[in-house]
Amino acid sequence: MTAAQVGNKARHADPAPWQKTGYWLAGLRLARLYAASRRAATCLLVLVACAIALRTALHWLPRGGVYAEQIPITIEAGAAAVIGVTTGSPFGDPERATGRWLPYLRLVAAMALAGAAFGALAAGSASQHLDGGTLSLLRDLAGFTGLAFLTGAVLGGALAWIGPLGYLAITLPALAGHWTTPWLWPARPPHDRGAAICAGLVFTAGLAVVTVRGARAWFR
Amino acid sequence: MTTATAPVAPAAPARPRRVALPGPARLLRLELRRNIMPWLLPLLAVLFWFVTYRPAMANPPFWNVRSAIVQSHTMLAFAPLLAGAAAWAGSRDRRRGVADLVDMTALPRWAGQLAAWAATTCWAEAIYLAGVAVLYVVTAHQGAWGGPLWWPVAVGAAFVAASCALGFTAGSLLPSRFTAPVAAFVMFLALAGCAFALQANVTYAQIWPLNVQGALPSDSYGIFYPYLPDLPITQLMFLAGLAAAALGGLGLPTAAGGRWLRRAAAAVTAAGLAAAGTGVVLAGTARLEAHGIVVPALHDAASGRPTPYTPVCSHTAVPICLQPAYRALLPDVTAALGPVLSQVADLPGMPARVTQVAVTSVHAEPSNGIGFGGPVISGHPPVLYLPLAGLTLPGEGNTPATQFIAGLRQQDGPSILSVLVGLPGQIPAQSGLGGINSIPNPRHFAQVAVVDGMVRVLGLGQPGPLSTPIQHGTSSGEQQVLAAAQRFAALPAATRHAWLVTHLAALRADRISVSEIP
Repeated sequence: MTAAQVGNKARHADPAPWQKTGYWLAGLRLARLYAASRRAATCLLVLVACAIALRTALHWLPRGGVYAEQIPITIEAGAAAVIGVTTGSPFGDPERATGRWLPYLRLVAAMALAGAAFGALAAGSASQHLDGGTLSLLRDLAGFTGLAFLTGAVLGGALAWIGPLGYLAITLPALAGHWTTPWLWPARPPHDRGAAICAGLVFTAGLAVVTVRGARAWFR
Repeated sequence: MTTATAPVAPAAPARPRRVALPGPARLLRLELRRNIMPWLLPLLAVLFWFVTYRPAMANPPFWNVRSAIVQSHTMLAFAPLLAGAAAWAGSRDRRRGVADLVDMTALPRWAGQLAAWAATTCWAEAIYLAGVAVLYVVTAHQGAWGGPLWWPVAVGAAFVAASCALGFTAGSLLPSRFTAPVAAFVMFLALAGCAFALQANVTYAQIWPLNVQGALPSDSYGIFYPYLPDLPITQLMFLAGLAAAALGGLGLPTAAGGRWLRRAAAAVTAAGLAAAGTGVVLAGTARLEAHGIVVPALHDAASGRPTPYTPVCSHTAVPICLQPAYRALLPDVTAALGPVLSQVADLPGMPARVTQVAVTSVHAEPSNGIGFGGPVISGHPPVLYLPLAGLTLPGEGNTPATQFIAGLRQQDGPSILSVLVGLPGQIPAQSGLGGINSIPNPRHFAQVAVVDGMVRVLGLGQPGPLSTPIQHGTSSGEQQVLAAAQRFAALPAATRHAWLVTHLAALRADRISVSEIP
């Protein structure tokens, strides 16, 4: 057996079971380290706090009126802002240069946190009257989260909150003014197709950008 | 050739030395250059355009309307973002891992933090005041009557500083990547919660920094009477106190500086808390009056004197005189009320003039609501006092003049007629025909029937009870009123007018029954 044959055999042979387990363990460890570096646990805690805030607000809020729309949307924007902040990397270029699994990790983390936010807020609003219902919650949260991802790609993960909260500041007067543009999706009815498409586009674009490029390592 | 003989190069012109600034000013200049706020200026400018300039320009050029927006709309958008940006600036040293290094410098830690806060606040104030300046210059250019209101700007500027102070303190004490978004988010929620408390008629919530003269619409104050500064003063006390308490709190830890510095910080914190608490307590005593929110402990009786002006009047049978700020509306108001007034101009007791007033009466309603009284006739010779506050004026949003004229005619025409025949004065404005028809006292049935008939004749009401046959099951009183109104409306104009000339005094005195109406 030559040295060349040794190499080929090693490349094509199925890994031993203990090696497979090792890969999984290494993958899990990588995911855990990634989540820890992005403070995902703290993010989940804040999302739980948002869900509690939503439940408390819905308990006290009247069933109609501007506040019944504004306060849930504010909480959704807050949850999205926190998700956006987790996209920031504390390592910067060294991680970009060496982490070939980064796009997958970013995608999984972003989707998992967005899903967790939706689950938490949906649970928080369960058995309470949420203006617009769960469909509206999904649309608005997706749009806000997409904005947070896009802002993170432009300004950096740590400043990703500026996008959704700045957009929220524009949206709140629009709720009272009954604007009709679908680009202000929180001000539209839950079954508005244009608003859903706009929010979905923003979320998809944000997710794609943050998956491929990651958040910009600029401001520290 | 030796170096000694080499030609000497001409000396370069000396570079002007940078002006040596004292230490704190140098530090502030450094912080201004290294601050995050310049990166946020474009966003804040866009926000100002969306939430302030655009809505302001959608309203007629009244100083009170435009000034209220720079406090309420602008700060709703700015305050949370400024709190977040300041939290980001406050957590900078810990975020960069240089907190220990900075703590060791000769400069007290508290002074360094105050410089960073001051730089953030300077940028924020600059963009806020620049936006206000643009808005005010455009408003002045549009020929608004009177002068700009500065109290809302002062409250807005104080809120800018307080937002930055609260956010900065949060960022400094809890440095984390989540502090900035959470600070901004909490600021949003705090503003919303306070607004909710105000809607629930919690009097202490009057301190809400976005509250401009309570539930009064912005076109009802600051024109006929001076802008009441009571509530803005309490808001300034509250905001300045909050800012002082937050910034003083930064100087309390041991690392902040020496003993004397920390004692000074403690004193500032205590004074700030006292000022904020006093502001809240004073706001709890506030009460709604016709020209604004009055805080008894701060109220100056001199501010209750009306602002002098020369009215602009129409040249009609009954002159309609408006405040000069409303000069542009004179043709529309004349078109709306002229036909009504000309029909009744020569009746006994008819007002010799219509004069615009801010409000005739005002009362608080549940859910932070407000109710206005309609027109009233008083004085000798009688004058009809007409309020226009709370109406959607032409140019407001997309309201055309025709819509304003129709609305004013339908709202105030029946009210003027009801005042003329002596119906009780508590009929709410904007109730129109429905409000008159809802009067339950049979004593006033004759007056209601006359007003309904006149409304029908002058085309002041929407098709309603008068245009439909009397329904089976209607009470006998209502049947009588409707029948009398229909009879009265069917009379020839000369007969109707002659009857009114003869019987108006008796009608006012409740001496005419429904059956006596021809």
